Amino acid sequence: MNNKYESNKWQEVINWVQTRSLFMLHYCTGCGAIELPPTMTSRYDMSRFGIGPAATPRQADILLITGYLSTKTLRRVIYTYEQMQNPKFVMGFGSCTINGGMYWDSYNTIKQLDKYIPVDLYIAGCMPRPEAILEGFLKLKEKIETGSADGYKRYNKEYEKYKKNQEKVLGEVKRRQ
Amino acid sequence: MRSENELIKLLNRDLNLLSFKKLRKQNISIRFENEELVSGLNYLKSQNYIHLATISCVDWIEDNQFELIYQLFSYEDKISLSVKTRINRKTSKFVTIKNLWGVAKYYERDIHDFFGIKFTGNDNMDELILENWNEIPPMRKDFKTRQYVDKKYDWRQYHGQE
Amino acid sequence: MILNIFGFLLMAFSAMALGLLFIGIARKVVARVQKRIGPPFYQAYLDVFKLFTKNSITHGFIFDFGAIMAFGGMITTLFFVPVGPFVLYGMNGTLLLVIYLMAVAYLGMAMATVGSGNPLASVGISRALTQMLGYELPFIVVLLTLIYSSNTSSIIGIVQTQQSGFMNWNLINIPIGTAVAFVTLLGLMGKKPFDAPIAPSEIASGPVVEHGGKYLAFIMLQHAVSVVVKTALFVDLFLGGGNNIFIFIVKMLIVWLLVTLIGSIFPRFKVEEGVLFYWRWPLIAALLQAVIIIF
Repeated sequence: MNNKYESNKWQEVINWVQTRSLFMLHYCTGCGAIELPPTMTSRYDMSRFGIGPAATPRQADILLITGYLSTKTLRRVIYTYEQMQNPKFVMGFGSCTINGGMYWDSYNTIKQLDKYIPVDLYIAGCMPRPEAILEGFLKLKEKIETGSADGYKRYNKEYEKYKKNQEKVLGEVKRRQ
Repeated sequence: MRSENELIKLLNRDLNLLSFKKLRKQNISIRFENEELVSGLNYLKSQNYIHLATISCVDWIEDNQFELIYQLFSYEDKISLSVKTRINRKTSKFVTIKNLWGVAKYYERDIHDFFGIKFTGNDNMDELILENWNEIPPMRKDFKTRQYVDKKYDWRQYHGQE
Repeated sequence: MILNIFGFLLMAFSAMALGLLFIGIARKVVARVQKRIGPPFYQAYLDVFKLFTKNSITHGFIFDFGAIMAFGGMITTLFFVPVGPFVLYGMNGTLLLVIYLMAVAYLGMAMATVGSGNPLASVGISRALTQMLGYELPFIVVLLTLIYSSNTSSIIGIVQTQQSGFMNWNLINIPIGTAVAFVTLLGLMGKKPFDAPIAPSEIASGPVVEHGGKYLAFIMLQHAVSVVVKTALFVDLFLGGGNNIFIFIVKMLIVWLLVTLIGSIFPRFKVEEGVLFYWRWPLIAALLQAVIIIF
């Protein structure tokens, strides 16, 4: 009992630090990539919240999917996501990741990102402005602090479900570490 | 440097054109029979039309034909030339031009991906852009996109939606 | 004996803390140069702490050993560099020893690269070692000049020759050599004109491309210690060292801020351009300084 209480306190400290230091990997296939330079540079400056760009998936905490994903890029996103280290968070960005957006009847664009990898937070809009992105990051921080951003735990727990959905659209997914 | 009219005159003299059309300034489209296309492209290449920008394809489903369009450009005449030919939609077979332009290999693979046209002589017809595709090629007019999407992807359910 | 070990540990941990503080300050300064607000000055501590709480994946024994070798090599270098009044070793020849020990960290990184097998990491580490070839030549010439002029090859000995006032500093005695050493310091630290080895936008942070979680935390700590070691070495050799730890840290901070400011306004050299740059003007200036000092 006592031990559990302590570990919870420790978890709170870890969560607090994680909200203040987030390395972001942006997967720039869609048009949302163009909204990120103003978010990072002097006009909106997201580094004041402790959020910075990471160079590789191994170093990153957040995977930011900026826009539509075709089935071919979805495969790469899954590889990227599985290379990241726990705890990891996914943000879907723009209406294309929510319901397909303007590619709603395209034969090779996925319609719902959260069927294939667990998404912690969506930012709606086509495209979201930098203010919306910053608001999204602040919301994600709140979710991490309360411990409700648990996408990576869900991915481990319901791995079979996600795998089935992935294989439905992609065929076989070769997994490499 | 030739003008558009001089070029058309030259082509009419040396080649057996089905038709020609001046689309706009510096832009001409000409049409060949199937059998004469390769020799025609060969002649055009010797006339400084050395740049193959792309090969594109149109599905004329009512005429039961595919139209192949070879986009050429000359750096001396500054004219871009659309060389067109129509092939049978049923057999959907044509000859490769990879011996004239090496890059044509990839354009032909691309067309094979999206229209299912086979180019004899070009052996490598693996998937270039699509992955694990086993329906009819997606850019054909008889491919029902909506049906395919309904089958493959799930629509998001919203609250209060029937 | 126990006390000695305690001293070593204290020095290592305080160097890490100081280095992380310096990195945080540098991030703030770069942000102000770019008209941003920038992260808080304690951001580097949070980053390292967070990375230690993350999961991490190993790529085999060589990878682990390389990370430890890089970190340990840098800590070992620290023990031979006098930081203010804290002098652990004062024997003759420490100056040359430090130069070679600094290469150990790079070799450790090269080992981790081999273990990870990532091609971008190999590109990064080969760039780092090539660039080392570039900046070490003028640096060694300046150091030999320094050893000749102060008649000793121990760092603490060089510090002692510069005591009793501002006019005895090597900054005044060998000004061209100091300028050359400052330019090579940029390369030693991998700062902006010479950061081709870690170029994040082209080779995805180079040698550390496969380091995640705790491994990256160790690399960040190694970088923090290396900042302290290299600025302390520069202060010892050219700015008269210091008996007072606070004065010494202020001198280190001035050197570090100068390096940061210069780094924040320059674009990046290609690696062969960097090497050619070092072999041209800094080398000529260093040789000129040597001739002036010797004759």
